[in-house]
Amino acid sequence: MTPHIVVAGRLALRDARSVETFSIRPFRPPGDVAQLRRDVRAFLREHQPVGGAARRANCWAVGDSAFSRALGAAGYIGMIWPKAYGGHERHPLERYVVLEELLAAGAPVGMHWIADRQSGPLLLRYGTEAQRQTYLPAMARGELHACIGMSEPGAGSDLASVRTRGERTADGWRINGQKVWTTNAHNAHVMIALVRTSEGEKRQDGLTQFLIELDRPGVSVRPIVDLAGGHDFNEVFLDDVLIPDENRIGAEGAGWKQVTAELSLERSGPERYLSSYALLVELVRLAGGDADPTLKALIGRFTAELWCLRQMSLSTAAKLAAGEDPALEAAMVKDLGNSFEQEMPRVVQGALEHIDLAAPADLSRILSVLLLVAPSFSLRGGTREILRGIVARGLGLR
Amino acid sequence: MSESLPLLCETAEKLFRDLAERQAPFAAAWAEIEAAGFPLLLTPEVEGGFGGDWQDAFAVLRIAGAHALAAPLAEAIAAAHVSRRAGWAPRDGLTVIATSSAAAFVGDRFTGTVAAPWGRAATYVIARVSDRVVRLAVADAAITESANTAGDPRDALRFDGAAAEDAADDDIALWGALARTAQIAGALDAALSLSITYANERVQFGKPIGKFQAVQQSLAEFAEEAAAVNCAGRAAACAADCGDASMEIAAAKLRAGQAAAIGARVAHQVHGAIGFTHEHELHRYTTRLTSWRSEYGNERSWSAYLGAWAVQQGADGLWPAIVARADVQNGS
Ligand SMILES: Cc1cc2nc3c(=O)[nH]c(=O)nc-3n(C[C@H](O)[C@H](O)[C@H](O)COP(=O)(O)OP(=O)(O)OC[C@H]3O[C@@H](n4cnc5c(N)ncnc54)[C@H](O)[C@@H]3O)c2cc1C
Repeated sequence: MTPHIVVAGRLALRDARSVETFSIRPFRPPGDVAQLRRDVRAFLREHQPVGGAARRANCWAVGDSAFSRALGAAGYIGMIWPKAYGGHERHPLERYVVLEELLAAGAPVGMHWIADRQSGPLLLRYGTEAQRQTYLPAMARGELHACIGMSEPGAGSDLASVRTRGERTADGWRINGQKVWTTNAHNAHVMIALVRTSEGEKRQDGLTQFLIELDRPGVSVRPIVDLAGGHDFNEVFLDDVLIPDENRIGAEGAGWKQVTAELSLERSGPERYLSSYALLVELVRLAGGDADPTLKALIGRFTAELWCLRQMSLSTAAKLAAGEDPALEAAMVKDLGNSFEQEMPRVVQGALEHIDLAAPADLSRILSVLLLVAPSFSLRGGTREILRGIVARGLGLR
Repeated sequence: MSESLPLLCETAEKLFRDLAERQAPFAAAWAEIEAAGFPLLLTPEVEGGFGGDWQDAFAVLRIAGAHALAAPLAEAIAAAHVSRRAGWAPRDGLTVIATSSAAAFVGDRFTGTVAAPWGRAATYVIARVSDRVVRLAVADAAITESANTAGDPRDALRFDGAAAEDAADDDIALWGALARTAQIAGALDAALSLSITYANERVQFGKPIGKFQAVQQSLAEFAEEAAAVNCAGRAAACAADCGDASMEIAAAKLRAGQAAAIGARVAHQVHGAIGFTHEHELHRYTTRLTSWRSEYGNERSWSAYLGAWAVQQGADGLWPAIVARADVQNGS
């Protein structure tokens, strides 16, 4: 294979003619993958999610406490965590298989998604023994939920400009500030917040992560209703919130490094291209009794893109599982994946004959939801422009 | 993937670069390519070939694309593959697969027109007619010479009651599509590399144009497209080594066609007027990308094919079908 080296998200151009932007890793989970898929599908048949078809769209933003508890009881949350912390010591690629099966089925995984994807792994990597023992088992049971306190009114893409402050007290910290767009804060028990604890030489210095229980005095969560009328994200106000030093995650001042590692997990999963999969399912159902060549060709295009993105995502997952940090690849897959999930509803709306968005049919319901929420796909978890900036850096342009 | 793939790639890299730099005339170039054994990449060692698989062929054809190799290597590799599957004895001289044919097969006689890359240089051409594949001697054809957008030969061969060997159906467009996907992957990477280098060197408004965010964002999009084709193509090649790969090849070529168009657009935009000249080498890649996008199935034909496949799996069967195929291909 032609030489390629990706060093810390930067692509080395060894030979002008053989730049390779995406090195491929085979996706080989251990064990009987077909059986694992059958098990997940059997679980889904047994725990049929409640609610209408629209809940299958963008389903990792759809929460269902009972479903999450059942999933936890079946061993599908915290799959890769040590058993000592309530995990199941499965392989990361087995976890990937379970996630993609859940997403493809449109299962309501939103309640526990952040704890399983991000907060749990963060605690495992940087947390203290006490933090792991306290939180991980309940997270793995699907009972304790987490939210991400990164964004602030003045800190969106420019995350290093967070202004929420942490000041030392006798035995801990006093936190003051405001977080925003905090998904699921109204259901979550804990928030992992990025907080400024000192003014460093660089803007990225002096940031620290804290675990804040949302029932502490001084924490108030206010809903933000989204344009579709849904309540997913919130503002979280922190007024003189006192927390013990035991709630600090990782070293003081190490917040930026930790958050960056977290973003690789946040960006590389199958949820970054499957948010609109429910629509493809309904399109195929519609085409079943119909020989419309335009519709079939559209399905063909989406199928090709889906298959291609899945290959890219699998390769990125395999790299992550092998202990590499595929930040560049993750940015590529997320950007391409978001474009796909966004494009699908837009194109379908223009291509279908007599589509009534107000009709009670599953297709209309799913399409309507996706048309409304699709703009958020290329915002959440890092905007398109920021991701392309990461890619440009990888290409040696920045 | 064969053990000696790194060596194979090294040889390919050296030879194809050398041929491009020397601007070797076709006959001489092809003699060297044949001498190096590349057309027999997929032919088993016992039959005098390299004994490679589609993953090897993908790697070599990707390098051929990255050097804009002006020779029918993709067509020859695919032709050798189809011939073996058909049970036909190997023949001396160049055999290519047709890009399309409009013909009828009556008894064992073949009448019609076959579009053949480098038809004028070939000894045999393999075409598909109704539900058969046929191998025809080019000597029996009246040749109308033509060229693709890169100036590479794309000839029309007219047969009138010609003798033909025939065999059970094989979708030659699939093998052509996989080979073209590899070439597109390579040509995209080469055009991307040229564009990045140029963006870092060309100064306007007092700085390299690559420092402008608008340029960076376009090149990032280009890089993602190139990455998608490389990833899809390799996965399709791997699938081809495992058994039926029709769905994967169709998807990869469809994706490659889209990327070829986007990549050529961005490459030219970044290069400005200099990239629009004959003197600059960019056109060697972009004119071929343009041609390859159409050949062995464009987005329209492969999306119709894939759409039919997907609908056949059914709404609830589509996902299981996609992942089950990949699980088998990944050996898990
Ligand atoms: C549905 C949803 C859920 C979310 N959930 C959470 C959550 O749980 N926790 C959390 O912390 N955050 C969350 N976010 C916030 C998300 O991370 C931010 O929206 C995102 O980082 C962008 O920040 P912003 O919205 O302030 O936009 P801005 O950063 O203000 O960007 C606005 C526009 O300017 C562009 N832009 C900004 N900087 C540059 C630049 N340097 N170059 C070029 N263009 C630029 C952006 O790409 C974008 O197009 C969520 C967002 C959404 C939409």
